[in-house]
Amino acid sequence: MKPSNPPQQTDPTPQPDTPILSLRNLCVEFHTDDGTVSAVEDVSLDVRRGETLGIVGESGCGKSVTAMSLLRLIPSPPGRITSGSAMFAGQDLLALPSERLRQVRGRKIAMIFQEPSAALSPLLRVGDQMVEVLTTHLNVSRDDAGRIAVDWLSKVGIPAPQERMMAYPFQLSGGMIQRVMIAMALMLEPDLVIADEPTTALDVTIQAQILDLLRAMKKRDTALILITHDMGVVWEMCDRVIVMYASRIVEQAPRDDLFHSPCHPYTRALLDSLLSMNEAGGRLTVIEGQVPSPLAYPAGCRFAARCSMAADRCRTESPAALGVGHGHDSACFFAKTLRATPLQRRNTSP
Amino acid sequence: MTTPLLQVKNLKTWYPIRRGVLSRTVGHVHAVDGVSLEVHPGETLGIVGESGCGKTTLVRTIMGLEHPTAGEVHLGGTRLWPQRHRDTLPLRRRMQMVFQDPYSSLNPRMTILDILTEGLLDHGLIRPRERQSNAVRLLAEVGMEPSVLHRYPHEFSGGQRQRISIARAMALRPELVICDEAVSALDVSVRAQVLNLLLDLRASHNLAYLFIAHDLGVIRHIAHRVAVMYLGVVVETGPAADLLKAPVHPYTRALISAIPAPYREARNRIALSGDVPSAARPPVGCRFHTRCPFAQDRCAASHPPLSPVGPQEGLHSVACFRAQELTGKPTVNSPNN
Repeated sequence: MKPSNPPQQTDPTPQPDTPILSLRNLCVEFHTDDGTVSAVEDVSLDVRRGETLGIVGESGCGKSVTAMSLLRLIPSPPGRITSGSAMFAGQDLLALPSERLRQVRGRKIAMIFQEPSAALSPLLRVGDQMVEVLTTHLNVSRDDAGRIAVDWLSKVGIPAPQERMMAYPFQLSGGMIQRVMIAMALMLEPDLVIADEPTTALDVTIQAQILDLLRAMKKRDTALILITHDMGVVWEMCDRVIVMYASRIVEQAPRDDLFHSPCHPYTRALLDSLLSMNEAGGRLTVIEGQVPSPLAYPAGCRFAARCSMAADRCRTESPAALGVGHGHDSACFFAKTLRATPLQRRNTSP
Repeated sequence: MTTPLLQVKNLKTWYPIRRGVLSRTVGHVHAVDGVSLEVHPGETLGIVGESGCGKTTLVRTIMGLEHPTAGEVHLGGTRLWPQRHRDTLPLRRRMQMVFQDPYSSLNPRMTILDILTEGLLDHGLIRPRERQSNAVRLLAEVGMEPSVLHRYPHEFSGGQRQRISIARAMALRPELVICDEAVSALDVSVRAQVLNLLLDLRASHNLAYLFIAHDLGVIRHIAHRVAVMYLGVVVETGPAADLLKAPVHPYTRALISAIPAPYREARNRIALSGDVPSAARPPVGCRFHTRCPFAQDRCAASHPPLSPVGPQEGLHSVACFRAQELTGKPTVNSPNN
């Protein structure tokens, strides 16, 4: 141990780097008939203004539960946030009285869900739902709210917005509804948008249009948390990436760093598997085995059973997040070794 | 040239739109509107296209799950339709299907043993006492333990269920397996395992696949040839490597450029505006002209036929009037003219 160093970094730029949202040590449990499962364990993250933070992982890794917990949207029971804090604009979202939280939800933090058709009421016209949101949060008349809504529908590229206001959700295509959801999320000009697989249910050409909209939003300094399982979407959209596996964060890094020198064997295997896809015909690089069941998480590193590097220590001891430089953390005992060997880019056919 | 295992000629499947108290037919949804294709033994044909392009209706019609409005389906040289279902039963054994959703495509009340041997018993290929040994053999082919035989589908993960679906499809020793988005619902790490299994089975049984997927990475990996569908018609078809590397049809270009790919630097995306038009009233002329950045007057007037492009005559075909001038042009968003 060195004697305490004086703080080295005297960063002249004052405040723009302070996170708009700071989540610390979030733990979420679900009570099921088979026992208590921990869906999220000790997750901490920061998002800054104008930044897009990606959270990736396979189904069941806890990425959606993390996002839902931020707005306390997990059904309780069976879910329960057992610990953690989420500091946003000086208040802890996880401790706020529900009345006050309601003023933040939608107004300051908006959420876009994967199934847009499930997020709108099927019984109300699109316009009425938008007007209701506006009149609830802003001090505007119904007429003004209507004008704002039409304006936003056209901003997100919906043709004939005046007519669409009268439509019921079932009369719109999936891409249209997702655009309505984005308009609803953005029209209150929130500071943070949480998008949970916003394009997973859509076709690729429509996905491209929606991603363009989200990118445009970033220019207005809105922060975005983007939850996805698609590494292509992460590459195109995100500044920083968090990789989750079996309820924990295994790696977090700036995008380029993560894609070029992943320092966790899980991230490495995922990217390897994607890259081997480019070689027609050959066998794909696979991650053997399966994600462990949350009812029976193994001791130690949860990826150990599928990891080619696993040593005895990995099966008994949980690796803590280890910094390898440039804001890059990896929860692996071998992070430094991996750091020294960047991912080999395979030769894709010329 | 070998005789094709599967031959589809000008197939059309239209669904009537009924309105009013008398349920009068007021129009048709042109789900599949004149598709021709061939699959040879041991060959994999990939079909790509967005939702509503008719790819699922196409394979359902080939399987006999929908009635075609017009056209022909031949399997191993024999016409499948309009023969009576019973007469083509032995023939249908040669063609099996794996569905997209491994959660709804396995009967939750049947054990794995029942699921794997139902078809064998129906076709009279085995006696009841041979069920166990056949099921164990099938499980071994897809890399699963015999111990799962008496368990139910809900006890398995998505990837394992998809293995069971593949074992069920393999039970009747088919020559053609139709995979309708068979790996789309699976997580990345599991998807690679299932794709490897499909590649192994293809190699060991000389299987042909008709492989529907929207993930072009998957298609590039498994398919020999690709057909791109838009609004019920094939707009481009050719060898997978050529077509994905140098697409010609403006729709194929837009589709490929829209897919987010990791490691790709600053792409020139062809932005398509608007949605796919309704298949109940497909545009006159080229179906893509309403969204095409290269459209001209003639595109709205008549429908371009599939015509060969490129050096290997007959392998790569495109349904676009401007195919010749677009061939070899880089995939960029060039303005009209």
